[in-house]
Amino acid sequence: MEDYPEELRTPPVSLVSLVGCPDLHPTISAALHSEQPPINTLALPDFSKISIFARKQRDPLDAGGHPPEGILKKEWLLKHRTRIPAVVAALFSCDQVNGDPAQWLQVCTDLENLKSMVRGRNIKLVIVIVQSTVTDGVSEDLIVALRKRAEIDSKHLVMFEQDNPLEMKQSLNRLSGIFAELCNTYYREEGRRVKGRIEKKTFGFPELNIRYCFKVAVYAEFRRDWAEALRYYEDAYGVLREMVGTSTRLPHIQRLVEIKAVAEQLHFKISTLLLHGGKVVEALSWFHKHAASYERVVGVPEMAFVHWEWFSRQFLVFAELLDTSPASIPGNVSPQFGTLENPLTEWEFQPAYYYQLSAKYLRNKKLSLARSLSLIECSDSAYKVEGCPDSVTPSNFVGQYARLVEEGDTVTVLPLSDAEYTSYAIREAQRFQDSYEIIALFRRSWESFNSLKATRMASYCANRMAREYFEAADFINAKEFFDGVAGLFRQEGWATLLWETLGYLRECSRKLGSPKGFVEYSLEMAALPIFSNSEGETDGDKRECGPAGPATLSRRENIQEEVFNLLKGQTLVAADCSLKILEDQPVLVEVDLVSPLRMVLLASVAFHDQSLKPTSSTSITLSLLSQLPCPITIDQLEIQFNQPTCNFEVVNAQEPSMAESIRGDPAVRVEMAPSLTVLPDKWLRLTYEMKSEQSGKLECLFVKAKIASFFMICCRAESPASMEDLPLWKFEDRVESFPTKDPALAYSGQRFIQVEEPEPQVDLSLNASGSALVGENFIVPVTVTSKGHAIHSGELKINLVDARGGGLLMSPRGELEPFSSDSHHVELLGISGTLEEDESQLNLDNIRKIQQSFGVVSVPDLGLGDTWSCNLEIKWHRPKSVMLYVSLGYFPNSAEAAPQRVNVHKSLQIEGKTPFVISHRFMSQFRREPLLLTKVKSSSDSDKKTSLALNEMSILIVSARNCTEVPLRLISMSIESNSEENNSHSCLVEHSHGSPSDNGLLVPGEEFKQVFSVTPQTDTSNLSVGTVCVNWTRDARANLAPGSAVLTRLKLPDVNVEKPPLVVSLEYPPHAVLGVPFSLHARVQNLTSMLQEIKYSLGDSQSFVFSGPHNGSVFILPRVEHIISYMLVPLSSGSQQLPRITITSVRYSAALQPSIVAETLFVYPSEPTFSIGLRRKELDPISS
Amino acid sequence: MIVCVAVVGQQNNPLYLQSFTEAGDELKLHHIVHCSLDVIDERVNNPKKSWPTLNETFLGLLYPSENYKVYGYLTNTKVKFILVTIDMEVKDADMRNFFRRFHAAFVDAVSNPFHVPGKKITSRSFASRVSAIVKSFGSGTTA
Repeated sequence: MEDYPEELRTPPVSLVSLVGCPDLHPTISAALHSEQPPINTLALPDFSKISIFARKQRDPLDAGGHPPEGILKKEWLLKHRTRIPAVVAALFSCDQVNGDPAQWLQVCTDLENLKSMVRGRNIKLVIVIVQSTVTDGVSEDLIVALRKRAEIDSKHLVMFEQDNPLEMKQSLNRLSGIFAELCNTYYREEGRRVKGRIEKKTFGFPELNIRYCFKVAVYAEFRRDWAEALRYYEDAYGVLREMVGTSTRLPHIQRLVEIKAVAEQLHFKISTLLLHGGKVVEALSWFHKHAASYERVVGVPEMAFVHWEWFSRQFLVFAELLDTSPASIPGNVSPQFGTLENPLTEWEFQPAYYYQLSAKYLRNKKLSLARSLSLIECSDSAYKVEGCPDSVTPSNFVGQYARLVEEGDTVTVLPLSDAEYTSYAIREAQRFQDSYEIIALFRRSWESFNSLKATRMASYCANRMAREYFEAADFINAKEFFDGVAGLFRQEGWATLLWETLGYLRECSRKLGSPKGFVEYSLEMAALPIFSNSEGETDGDKRECGPAGPATLSRRENIQEEVFNLLKGQTLVAADCSLKILEDQPVLVEVDLVSPLRMVLLASVAFHDQSLKPTSSTSITLSLLSQLPCPITIDQLEIQFNQPTCNFEVVNAQEPSMAESIRGDPAVRVEMAPSLTVLPDKWLRLTYEMKSEQSGKLECLFVKAKIASFFMICCRAESPASMEDLPLWKFEDRVESFPTKDPALAYSGQRFIQVEEPEPQVDLSLNASGSALVGENFIVPVTVTSKGHAIHSGELKINLVDARGGGLLMSPRGELEPFSSDSHHVELLGISGTLEEDESQLNLDNIRKIQQSFGVVSVPDLGLGDTWSCNLEIKWHRPKSVMLYVSLGYFPNSAEAAPQRVNVHKSLQIEGKTPFVISHRFMSQFRREPLLLTKVKSSSDSDKKTSLALNEMSILIVSARNCTEVPLRLISMSIESNSEENNSHSCLVEHSHGSPSDNGLLVPGEEFKQVFSVTPQTDTSNLSVGTVCVNWTRDARANLAPGSAVLTRLKLPDVNVEKPPLVVSLEYPPHAVLGVPFSLHARVQNLTSMLQEIKYSLGDSQSFVFSGPHNGSVFILPRVEHIISYMLVPLSSGSQQLPRITITSVRYSAALQPSIVAETLFVYPSEPTFSIGLRRKELDPISS
Repeated sequence: MIVCVAVVGQQNNPLYLQSFTEAGDELKLHHIVHCSLDVIDERVNNPKKSWPTLNETFLGLLYPSENYKVYGYLTNTKVKFILVTIDMEVKDADMRNFFRRFHAAFVDAVSNPFHVPGKKITSRSFASRVSAIVKSFGSGTTA
């Protein structure tokens, strides 16, 4: 598109001319140019320059009956855009008009001259009188005179004021308005004039018809009447197309060239107009029509290249137009584009599609040109004899060429003969590097298709590009692109296309002198699944196939033979270069899991077992598969493992001498195989014994096959169980065989095996039994006994893991990370050895590392039958169940000899339990009840805190129950105050009763109680009573080892202390006798400094009669004690409930009722006689 | 005249490709068939953009390539049929008819118990049936 002249590429812009007053021209030009639509200005400084508007001598041929020399004049469009204005404005300054007669005369003369120039072309005239100041008036008479002289309308005489910016702007606006209007008129009139000629058909030749249509269209474009422009361009195009068969004006070849050149121009205009109008679909249809109508107009075969070049340019230009067009694809508007008969598809909206076709046709041109050149060379044709004229130039008409002949000073233009033109065209065409042009076009297409994610189209373009590079002998670039393309074909399994691409790649490698590449590509080609028979080869020359030749089975065989000959040391000789493999540079081809060369040689390795004992042996099957069309004979196989000591070699028994010569390391095991020939598509299976000393994973890594003298192929070993299908071959409908004889092994076989550790011959025992108790140091004895192995560098690892959580065993995280608070509940305190402890501590090499749940300790070297033991001390802080893992790692021999470490593992679950359940209870003094207001106030809900009365003694009973399964000995129980200092003031705790009897031995479930008296001495709501300390031991023996006693502590909850306002104590005898009266006193103490009103009542009871008031009330003075007395007579014997006495404080509205226990009295039937020794016996039946 | 028919598998691999031309442009036809897969991908991935009939197996004209026209058909197992013709005036109805018959032949061929799905179709009877369809179609349109 860039080759087109500017005037063709851009829409035409109206042109006006300014004459005179040159200092104003820039201002006016700029103003006009910024108009919408813009107007171009042709500025002439003075009137002497106006001759350029002059009309040439009228072409006599144009009007007469002679045929025109051409269709379109090349200069015409440019002339109308740059030299022939639509309007001429004559600028006169006021001074000139107003000046002396001489000046006036000058003005008149200039005007006359201008008029005569302008009239012939119908150019519109405007007169502008420039006023420099407002006062510069021009008299009305003068203006009228001037107008008359110029023969123009009054409105076409403009006064231009340049005084102040505002007025000047107005003048400019006025001026441009007039110009726009006159331009429009001019172009319309011109158009109408030419249109008239078309309608009257006053021309005798189609050339003129086309020319007129073109002119009308251009005039319409000047007026921005796109519809009319399009219509006339299309008319011109139509007439032109008809001329192809009828025109006889020029020699045959040049006639076509001219017609195509004009068609190109018209088509370009039409496409541009359509695309700018947003009519993409119409533009595409138009282009298809254009391409279809000219595709076959090739002309004579020798000049075909001219046609293809032109045709290719049509696509390129259209692609560029589409690329730059602002109109978007109407993708979402109409789903089916184009007409029903000729639907448009997705790609046809993409410039890439046209670039690709353009490249394709340019390639046609290249081929045609080559053909033409060869024709000229071999035939002594007329073109050659005639030679090429020296000076051929484009002539005045579009698409025509002429010969310039210089004779002295005069230059004459002579027409060309077809032969001359042909040789000129060939000479011109030879100057261009078509290949690079083609590559550039394909590259553009490739890039755009890639961005459209159309990978296959892109790869097609890349393929074509690579072919061009190949033909241009740029093998490095060609190889790069072919490699990319081959990747896609491999992936999608297009064997035939891959064959072609590989053929090129093979050729590139050969040309680049790379034997490895050549071998690899050749082998891949030979192994492709192509089976077509050789029928096609008869017309092989005609087929379009790359350097690989036709894709047939026989060709594959040829290729294999060729490459193996090369590998055997023969030189591959071709026309332009030869390839030989040097002895010191053998070819090594590596085949990994994704390599396309897996088809060439596939190595599958399967162990027959899943695990292997160190002493025993297992079988390994090695299977090789090749898809090469001919059998290949392997000289030597090397099988490599991750344990180099297991590597072995297989040699061909048929050629032992050969094998001998190859053999390298004598330490490597060598096996003989009866035959090492791999047949096409048939597994070669070899089975051998395997042994390994070293435990761990034994994995087969590579199988290396040495084939010919200079060739080694190294395949990564694959497990049959996880083997991928062969690329390309997986789509073939063929019988698949198993790599191993046993089909089960083919599904499960692996190329690795687990070699087990040697059996440990050491006993490790953990001797703890029963559960551990919280707080004690639980001892777990560990014993290591050597049975068959001596122990060297032994190491004992201890791990404690929550039995419920699990999973932390042996994990390095567990060792390194700080322990969560949970795991602190159980702690490994220490490891105490027996005798060796001191020794091991002295030895610095030995390891001894203990953390809270992990420990390592080294075990001294032990001989056969020796025993070593140690104790693990573990302490539970909370009841918890833990797993104890102990593992011993050792070397059975002294360190240098055997690198094999043996491990023994043991584990034990240990339950941690609470030894004692400690509970406590507070009680008030017998028959004495202080009034505690918090107790009264708090509703029935049980209070969180126990309340105690200030300075009143309370009883605290602490009981400890053995909840284990073993008897425990309780040594002592005491209450320690939490803080020494506060104790003396706040609370007095005294040990009052109870001590462990029977050496404190408590059988499981038995409870021990101890009574303390507590007297709070500080009025506080949070009185800390103290901590219960229970000192106990598991040991049943009386004499304790020091430190074996365990102290279990339990902090008592805080109590609330308050001052009681009233204290009630009941006083009556401890027992009564039937019928014998006794007295009951209720002593009410007022501890406050206020008068207290007390109401009291005594309920009736069947067992007693009493004297005294049922109800009553009394006032008690501050700090005074009041006694309420009754006399009671018991009526029945036994344990009897006294009448309920209730004392109510009115002030606190609190009723105080003694507890039932405090009001129970035993009544004897008669006066008892007590004997101390018999007491228990007597009381027993009663209490039971 | 139909110059080439192809069956392309789910992984865009060729299952069957037969050309019916005398000239040795087999390779070119391979390329055309391969490139047309891009259009099928595009249509299948953006159905609303390009094609109105969602459940239609017939994909219509895929693209005009030089002198050829390529038509496509997608079965519900994502196997694609591609047809290349050099006729410039082709009726959609004819193409639909062709593909229907071709599909029937394909279904019969893959119903063979010895055929492994996803592998190339090597059945000779399928090949002869296809060429019969192609022939009848060619004569049908020219007549």
